[in-house]
Amino acid sequence: MKVEIDGQPVEVEPGTTILEAAQAAGRHVPTLCFDDRMAPFGACRVCMVALEGAAAPVAACTTPCRDDMRVHTEDETARRIAAATVELVLSELPEPPAEHTELAAVARFFEIGAPRWPGERRAPAHDRRHPYLALQHELCISCGRCVRACDEVQGAFALTATGRGFGSGITAGLDAGFVDSTCVSCGACADTCPTDAITEHSLLELTTAYTDDEGGLR
Amino acid sequence: MTSRFDATTTTTCGYCGVGCRLEAHRVGGRIASISPAGDGPANKGHTCVKGRFAHQFSRSRDRLTAPLVREGGEFRLASWEEAIGRVADAFGRIKSEHGPDAIAGLASSRATNEDCYVMQRMMRAAIGTHNIDNCSRVCHSPTSFALRKSFGLSGATGSFDDIEAAQVALIIGANPTQGHPVAGARIKQAAIKGLRLITADPRRIELADYGELHLGMRPGTNAALLNGLAHVVIRDDLTDHEFVAERTEGYEAVAELVEAYTPESVEEITGVPAADVVRAAHLYARAERASILWGLGVTEHRYGSECVRLICNLALLTGNVGRPGAALLPLRGQNNVQGSSDHGALPDTFTDYRPVSDDAVAESFERRWGVAMKRERGMKIPEMFDAAVEGRLKAMYIFGEDVAQTDPNTEHVIHALESLDFLVCQEIFESVTTQYADVVLPASSFLEKIGTFTNAERRVQFVSAALDPPGSAKTDFEILTTVSGALGHEMGYETPSDVMDEIAELTPRYAGISHERVGRGGLQWPVAPDGTDTPILYEERFELPGGRARFAPLPYKPPGDQADDEFPFILVTGRRLEHYNAGTMTRRTGNLELMSSDWLEVHPDDAAALGLEDGETVTVRSRRGEIQLPARVTERIEPGHVFTAFHFPEVRTNLLIGPSADINTSCPEYKVVAVAIEPVGERAREPVSAGAEPALSGS
Repeated sequence: MKVEIDGQPVEVEPGTTILEAAQAAGRHVPTLCFDDRMAPFGACRVCMVALEGAAAPVAACTTPCRDDMRVHTEDETARRIAAATVELVLSELPEPPAEHTELAAVARFFEIGAPRWPGERRAPAHDRRHPYLALQHELCISCGRCVRACDEVQGAFALTATGRGFGSGITAGLDAGFVDSTCVSCGACADTCPTDAITEHSLLELTTAYTDDEGGLR
Repeated sequence: MTSRFDATTTTTCGYCGVGCRLEAHRVGGRIASISPAGDGPANKGHTCVKGRFAHQFSRSRDRLTAPLVREGGEFRLASWEEAIGRVADAFGRIKSEHGPDAIAGLASSRATNEDCYVMQRMMRAAIGTHNIDNCSRVCHSPTSFALRKSFGLSGATGSFDDIEAAQVALIIGANPTQGHPVAGARIKQAAIKGLRLITADPRRIELADYGELHLGMRPGTNAALLNGLAHVVIRDDLTDHEFVAERTEGYEAVAELVEAYTPESVEEITGVPAADVVRAAHLYARAERASILWGLGVTEHRYGSECVRLICNLALLTGNVGRPGAALLPLRGQNNVQGSSDHGALPDTFTDYRPVSDDAVAESFERRWGVAMKRERGMKIPEMFDAAVEGRLKAMYIFGEDVAQTDPNTEHVIHALESLDFLVCQEIFESVTTQYADVVLPASSFLEKIGTFTNAERRVQFVSAALDPPGSAKTDFEILTTVSGALGHEMGYETPSDVMDEIAELTPRYAGISHERVGRGGLQWPVAPDGTDTPILYEERFELPGGRARFAPLPYKPPGDQADDEFPFILVTGRRLEHYNAGTMTRRTGNLELMSSDWLEVHPDDAAALGLEDGETVTVRSRRGEIQLPARVTERIEPGHVFTAFHFPEVRTNLLIGPSADINTSCPEYKVVAVAIEPVGERAREPVSAGAEPALSGS
């Protein structure tokens, strides 16, 4: 079937998402919870786009194309919703995301400076018990990518989303830590994490004065 | 945004045969991190605990960084000139006194195709012997032998992509989630999404939990099970008659042979319930697209090569070969166990398994290399050790293999090494084997060299150097070409790319392979001169005279070792996720923190009978030797069987393994050893520190 992305016609197979069609058309739609190794999730609301005739913007990653659909990726309302969502996410972090992370890249894309909503920020809580993997709970934005990578790429089912609202995060083996969970140390979670909430000790050593002092379990 | 890294190099993993493509990120002369390449055809953006994390060994303090020569019983540091001079002098002397066949070499299945090709050229052209082999001898040589006999070519008939394309997969004698973790993850995901799995293994492997049916046969009874499956396929007329008639030979003899393998008789031999044999055969044969994957649980047996032929029979009966989703996929052990054999590091074949006895082929190499060669094959690894003990073999050049830890019948291997006049080891670390060396040449790891590896799906993939070799260590390419020159045979290559060009020129099935063409995606051989590769073999014809595949009527025969009153248990050996073979690499990384010592798996019923508690240390005694290690009580293993791995030199599992080997290829029977188990009456001591030292004394 045929869809139109920012005025450009694209031929797509039934079942193609708007995000895939936009990528095929060479249009950049920012994403945060999306990873093409896993099924789309639609959690972060960063890939919002406008559809002609629709009441409100939709998430491009989970919305399938329909014949003759007309999509606007740079729609002002859609962009405003996405940017505000990212800004809210950033407002909870104790510090701005590290430059190399996807979250930082998305913040740069929307040109978000210091969050305008000061409020409670997450306190550092680190788990460094694994020889390679480092968990920095305060950086978790509940995008679910690590949990899905663990389930859908590896199949170890070691990670679980926990808590609600401000207290939400992820846990390995119901707080047993990576080593004592069903984790097989494949690192798929660290590879997909867009914020360094799960990363490697060796990478943290590169960018920060990485010490064992703050609230660490290691 | 500036990168956190000084450089990022895309390369191919140096651990198992899956062939994951990796991005190696370098900072200040060391690897800071490795991430999966998103476009890796085998790994599709994933990798495992070994490929991703176990890279610190490359900068380990105990890397060999300068040549060592033996003087007065001790090693001392030496210059490259002196070390290579000693090799050339010793080999020259032995060659003139005893002839070239008194020298033998082992290439490494962890090294590149180019390294292995250069090594076999050095043995054949510089020394003048076909005494060259590689460690595929002790893992998948039976697969290679059997696939060539049944279908024509020595490699998987399809690709890892066939896992997702299949409706049914039979996994026999393999534990992919531990041994080949990324392939294991792909199989598990496929099973979750609807692939119907049949697992067949003496252990209840993890994938059995995701499968439809698990067949827990007794070790060494694979042939009975496979013939039983064929029996049911024929009995219930699930045979693909058209395929059998048009594309195969020898059906009648198989049909006649398997008539006796009724599910009931198979149950008697294998312990697999007759009803499960029937169900498995129906599942496999009724699928439109069914694949078979196997590992060393099939090959490392007295009749391992015959069992691979029985696997081929089953695929031929049902027409499950040469189509997407209908593949035969041997899970190759080491990263380049396919390629080392493909490239002539075998005593009987040049590149592409063409026999050294074939005049036309031999002449093409003779012309290129400017030497004359014998037409009789050289020695296989076990023959080399026998010859050394008997005094017929005087010198060996062992490249990247710790035979004194990994080969069976360890006492005999060590006796052989001690019997040699001269031993050269080309290694990245001192090992049990280097303790018997006269010269040790410091070489490079996969992160420090350029070339290609060929994975388990026949895919030739590019290896790039992310680091320089440490100290004055050199690339294997440089060492081998220099040694060859010192022996009087200049090879004339400037880079490994020149080696691949020569391989392509002399090997019709690799004619289209070049480093440039291999690129990011790799090429699956055969590769036509125009660069077209072959993801699926045998779509139209088999590579045997007449284009037809050959059935093999082969009966079940009992394994080389059997349980008896004195040795009532059967020991099966294998791999664990965190470690890799001799542990040379993984034990020098944080993986040791994830798994610091080994254990013996014992079924709860057996533990109760032995009065054995979880964690208690036991003595495991075979007809060959004995070892001690802690027991772990688990239902993963069937009663009467025990399991352990061979990653820890202090455990020395291979002391237990006898000389029994595959009748066609001499691949050792690592999988069936009768043992006695006795608690030593003490709780497990703290695990022996398994760090850098090659513990010879079995501490």
